[in-house]
Amino acid sequence: MKIKAKEKDGIIKAKVMVKHDMLTYDVAKKKGKEANFITHLEAKVGDKVVYEISSSQFLSKNPIFKFTFKGAKKGDKLTVSWEDLKGTKKSGSKKIK
Amino acid sequence: MNRREFIGFGIMALAVLPASLSALDYRKEKPAAWKAKTVDSALEALYGKQTYVEKGIKLKVPKVASNGGAIPVDIKTDIEAKSVAVFQDSNPESAVAVFTVPDGQPVNYSIKIKMKKSGAITIAVEGKDGKFYKISKSLEVALGGCEG
Repeated sequence: MKIKAKEKDGIIKAKVMVKHDMLTYDVAKKKGKEANFITHLEAKVGDKVVYEISSSQFLSKNPIFKFTFKGAKKGDKLTVSWEDLKGTKKSGSKKIK
Repeated sequence: MNRREFIGFGIMALAVLPASLSALDYRKEKPAAWKAKTVDSALEALYGKQTYVEKGIKLKVPKVASNGGAIPVDIKTDIEAKSVAVFQDSNPESAVAVFTVPDGQPVNYSIKIKMKKSGAITIAVEGKDGKFYKISKSLEVALGGCEG
Protein backbone atom coordinates (compact mmCIF):
# COMPACT_ATOMS: atom_id res chain seq x y z
CA MET A 1 0.00 0.00 0.00
CA LYS A 2 1.06 3.57 -0.53
CA ILE A 3 0.68 6.03 2.30
CA LYS A 4 1.17 9.77 2.05
CA ALA A 5 0.79 12.04 5.05
CA LYS A 6 1.64 15.70 5.24
CA GLU A 7 1.23 18.01 8.21
CA LYS A 8 0.43 21.69 7.86
CA ASP A 9 -0.87 24.04 10.54
CA GLY A 10 -1.64 21.17 12.86
CA ILE A 11 -3.77 19.27 10.33
CA ILE A 12 -2.43 16.14 8.68
CA LYS A 13 -3.70 15.34 5.19
CA ALA A 14 -3.44 11.65 4.43
CA LYS A 15 -3.90 9.56 1.31
CA VAL A 16 -3.81 5.77 1.37
CA MET A 17 -3.83 3.69 -1.81
CA VAL A 18 -4.35 -0.05 -1.50
CA LYS A 19 -4.04 -2.65 -4.24
CA HIS A 20 -7.14 -4.80 -3.95
CA ASP A 21 -9.56 -6.18 -6.54
CA MET A 22 -12.60 -5.35 -4.40
CA LEU A 23 -14.44 -8.13 -6.21
CA THR A 24 -18.21 -7.86 -5.86
CA TYR A 25 -20.49 -10.88 -5.41
CA ASP A 26 -22.01 -10.31 -8.87
CA VAL A 27 -18.73 -10.13 -10.75
CA ALA A 28 -17.20 -12.96 -8.74
CA LYS A 29 -20.09 -15.20 -9.71
CA LYS A 30 -19.64 -14.38 -13.40
CA LYS A 31 -15.91 -15.08 -13.22
CA GLY A 32 -16.30 -18.23 -11.14
CA LYS A 33 -14.30 -16.69 -8.32
CA GLU A 34 -15.06 -15.88 -4.70
CA ALA A 35 -16.06 -12.36 -3.78
CA ASN A 36 -13.40 -10.57 -1.80
CA PHE A 37 -13.09 -6.95 -0.74
CA ILE A 38 -11.68 -4.86 2.08
CA THR A 39 -14.15 -4.84 4.96
CA HIS A 40 -12.28 -2.71 7.49
CA LEU A 41 -9.39 -0.27 7.44
CA GLU A 42 -7.97 1.82 10.23
CA ALA A 43 -5.18 4.35 10.56
CA LYS A 44 -3.36 4.93 13.84
CA VAL A 45 -0.67 7.15 15.26
CA GLY A 46 0.76 5.21 18.16
CA ASP A 47 -2.22 3.83 20.08
CA LYS A 48 -4.63 6.43 18.80
CA VAL A 49 -7.03 5.57 15.97
CA VAL A 50 -7.29 8.61 13.68
CA TYR A 51 -9.42 7.16 10.86
CA GLU A 52 -11.60 4.12 10.58
CA ILE A 53 -13.84 2.78 7.85
CA SER A 54 -16.01 -0.34 7.59
CA SER A 55 -16.44 -0.96 3.89
CA SER A 56 -18.19 -3.03 1.26
CA GLN A 57 -17.88 -4.48 -2.23
CA PHE A 58 -18.92 -1.05 -3.52
CA LEU A 59 -15.65 0.75 -3.03
CA SER A 60 -13.68 0.99 -6.26
CA LYS A 61 -10.96 -1.43 -7.25
CA ASN A 62 -7.57 -0.44 -5.81
CA PRO A 63 -9.32 1.90 -3.40
CA ILE A 64 -7.99 5.28 -2.40
CA PHE A 65 -8.80 6.67 1.03
CA LYS A 66 -8.28 10.37 1.72
CA PHE A 67 -8.80 11.89 5.15
CA THR A 68 -7.48 14.49 7.55
CA PHE A 69 -6.70 14.32 11.25
CA LYS A 70 -5.16 16.25 14.14
CA GLY A 71 -3.04 15.47 17.13
CA ALA A 72 0.13 14.29 15.46
CA LYS A 73 3.25 15.98 14.18
CA LYS A 74 5.91 15.64 11.49
CA GLY A 75 8.00 12.57 12.14
CA ASP A 76 5.20 10.63 13.84
CA LYS A 77 4.43 7.31 12.23
CA LEU A 78 1.05 6.76 10.60
CA THR A 79 0.19 3.04 10.55
CA VAL A 80 -2.59 1.73 8.33
CA SER A 81 -4.07 -1.76 8.71
CA TRP A 82 -6.82 -3.41 6.71
CA GLU A 83 -8.71 -6.67 6.68
CA ASP A 84 -10.71 -8.24 3.88
CA LEU A 85 -13.62 -10.65 3.62
CA LYS A 86 -11.34 -13.68 3.39
CA GLY A 87 -9.58 -12.62 6.58
CA THR A 88 -6.35 -11.41 4.99
CA LYS A 89 -4.78 -8.66 7.07
CA LYS A 90 -2.15 -6.22 5.88
CA SER A 91 -0.38 -3.27 7.44
CA GLY A 92 1.88 -0.46 6.36
CA SER A 93 3.28 2.70 7.83
CA LYS A 94 4.85 5.99 6.85
CA LYS A 95 6.29 8.94 8.74
CA ILE A 96 4.26 12.12 8.58
CA LYS A 97 6.09 14.73 6.52
CA MET B 1 -11.01 11.09 49.09
CA ASN B 2 -8.95 14.15 48.20
CA ARG B 3 -8.66 15.41 44.62
CA ARG B 4 -5.36 13.75 43.91
CA GLU B 5 -6.72 10.38 44.91
CA PHE B 6 -9.83 10.93 42.86
CA ILE B 7 -7.83 11.77 39.72
CA GLY B 8 -5.63 8.75 40.33
CA PHE B 9 -8.71 6.61 40.56
CA GLY B 10 -10.00 8.05 37.28
CA ILE B 11 -6.76 7.32 35.50
CA MET B 12 -6.73 3.79 36.84
CA ALA B 13 -10.21 3.21 35.49
CA LEU B 14 -9.16 4.48 32.04
CA ALA B 15 -6.14 2.21 31.97
CA VAL B 16 -8.39 -0.81 32.02
CA LEU B 17 -10.19 0.18 28.83
CA PRO B 18 -8.92 -0.94 25.39
CA ALA B 19 -6.38 1.34 23.74
CA SER B 20 -8.38 2.28 20.64
CA LEU B 21 -11.68 3.29 22.23
CA SER B 22 -13.10 4.37 18.92
CA ALA B 23 -12.35 1.15 17.03
CA LEU B 24 -15.67 -0.12 15.83
CA ASP B 25 -16.00 -2.50 12.92
CA TYR B 26 -19.50 -1.85 11.64
CA ARG B 27 -19.46 -4.97 9.52
CA LYS B 28 -19.19 -7.02 12.69
CA GLU B 29 -21.43 -4.80 14.82
CA LYS B 30 -24.30 -4.31 12.37
CA PRO B 31 -24.29 -7.15 9.84
CA ALA B 32 -27.91 -6.58 8.78
CA ALA B 33 -27.12 -3.07 7.54
CA TRP B 34 -24.85 -4.46 4.82
CA LYS B 35 -27.51 -6.80 3.44
CA ALA B 36 -30.29 -4.22 3.28
CA LYS B 37 -31.44 -3.41 -0.21
CA THR B 38 -32.88 0.06 0.24
CA VAL B 39 -31.28 3.12 1.78
CA ASP B 40 -34.08 3.47 4.33
CA SER B 41 -33.87 -0.13 5.49
CA ALA B 42 -30.08 0.07 5.73
CA LEU B 43 -30.36 3.29 7.74
CA GLU B 44 -32.81 1.63 10.09
CA ALA B 45 -30.61 -1.46 10.49
CA LEU B 46 -27.68 0.81 11.29
CA TYR B 47 -29.17 3.53 13.46
CA GLY B 48 -32.67 2.35 14.35
CA LYS B 49 -35.74 4.47 13.66
CA GLN B 50 -34.52 8.06 13.60
CA THR B 51 -35.53 11.42 12.18
CA TYR B 52 -32.87 13.06 10.10
CA VAL B 53 -32.16 16.77 9.84
CA GLU B 54 -31.20 17.63 6.28
CA LYS B 55 -28.39 20.08 6.88
CA GLY B 56 -24.85 20.41 8.09
CA ILE B 57 -23.20 17.99 5.66
CA LYS B 58 -21.27 18.94 2.55
CA LEU B 59 -21.43 16.22 -0.09
CA LYS B 60 -19.55 16.56 -3.35
CA VAL B 61 -20.23 14.12 -6.18
CA PRO B 62 -19.97 14.60 -9.94
CA LYS B 63 -23.23 15.41 -11.74
CA VAL B 64 -22.31 12.86 -14.35
CA ALA B 65 -19.91 10.06 -13.50
CA SER B 66 -18.06 8.97 -16.61
CA ASN B 67 -16.83 5.81 -14.93
CA GLY B 68 -19.38 4.08 -12.72
CA GLY B 69 -16.60 1.97 -11.27
CA ALA B 70 -14.82 4.89 -9.65
CA ILE B 71 -17.11 7.73 -8.60
CA PRO B 72 -15.41 10.29 -6.36
CA VAL B 73 -17.37 11.10 -3.20
CA ASP B 74 -16.20 13.90 -0.89
CA ILE B 75 -17.79 14.29 2.52
CA LYS B 76 -17.23 17.18 4.91
CA THR B 77 -19.05 18.20 8.05
CA ASP B 78 -18.48 20.31 11.15
CA ILE B 79 -21.06 18.32 13.12
CA GLU B 80 -19.36 16.54 16.02
CA ALA B 81 -19.94 13.06 14.76
CA LYS B 82 -19.74 9.55 16.11
CA SER B 83 -20.16 7.92 12.71
CA VAL B 84 -20.75 8.78 9.08
CA ALA B 85 -22.51 6.34 6.74
CA VAL B 86 -22.54 6.23 2.94
CA PHE B 87 -25.36 4.66 0.91
CA GLN B 88 -26.55 4.55 -2.69
CA ASP B 89 -29.67 3.19 -4.33
CA SER B 90 -28.27 1.75 -7.57
CA ASN B 91 -26.60 -1.43 -6.38
CA PRO B 92 -28.03 -4.72 -5.06
CA GLU B 93 -27.33 -3.60 -1.49
CA SER B 94 -27.34 0.01 -0.43
CA ALA B 95 -24.64 0.31 2.25
CA VAL B 96 -21.26 1.38 0.91
CA ALA B 97 -19.23 2.33 3.96
CA VAL B 98 -19.49 3.45 7.58
CA PHE B 99 -16.81 5.64 9.10
CA THR B 100 -16.25 5.55 12.84
CA VAL B 101 -15.20 9.08 13.73
CA PRO B 102 -12.44 9.02 16.36
CA ASP B 103 -12.93 11.49 19.21
CA GLY B 104 -12.26 15.04 18.15
CA GLN B 105 -11.16 14.22 14.63
CA PRO B 106 -12.41 16.22 11.62
CA VAL B 107 -14.73 14.68 9.06
CA ASN B 108 -13.16 15.36 5.69
CA TYR B 109 -13.28 12.14 3.74
CA SER B 110 -12.80 11.18 0.09
CA ILE B 111 -13.51 7.76 -1.31
CA LYS B 112 -14.33 6.32 -4.71
CA ILE B 113 -17.35 4.09 -5.10
CA LYS B 114 -19.09 1.88 -7.65
CA MET B 115 -22.62 2.44 -8.88
CA LYS B 116 -24.34 0.16 -11.36
CA LYS B 117 -26.45 2.94 -12.82
CA SER B 118 -27.64 6.47 -12.23
CA GLY B 119 -29.12 7.07 -8.80
CA ALA B 120 -28.61 8.90 -5.55
CA ILE B 121 -25.91 8.86 -2.91
CA THR B 122 -26.99 9.44 0.69
CA ILE B 123 -24.74 10.39 3.59
CA ALA B 124 -25.97 10.03 7.17
CA VAL B 125 -24.21 11.46 10.20
CA GLU B 126 -24.73 10.21 13.74
CA GLY B 127 -24.08 13.23 15.93
CA LYS B 128 -22.59 13.13 19.38
CA ASP B 129 -25.57 15.26 20.37
CA GLY B 130 -27.83 12.27 19.81
CA LYS B 131 -29.27 13.82 16.65
CA PHE B 132 -29.03 12.43 13.14
CA TYR B 133 -28.37 14.29 9.92
CA LYS B 134 -28.38 13.35 6.26
CA ILE B 135 -28.01 14.60 2.73
CA SER B 136 -28.68 13.04 -0.68
CA LYS B 137 -27.47 13.93 -4.12
CA SER B 138 -28.46 12.41 -7.45
CA LEU B 139 -26.04 11.69 -10.20
CA GLU B 140 -25.98 10.18 -13.62
CA VAL B 141 -23.70 7.29 -14.37
CA ALA B 142 -22.53 7.18 -17.96
CA LEU B 143 -20.96 3.73 -17.82
CA GLY B 144 -22.32 1.37 -15.15
CA GLY B 145 -19.62 0.22 -12.82
CA CYS B 146 -19.96 -2.99 -10.95
CA GLU B 147 -18.06 -4.82 -13.65
CA GLY B 148 -14.62 -5.25 -11.95
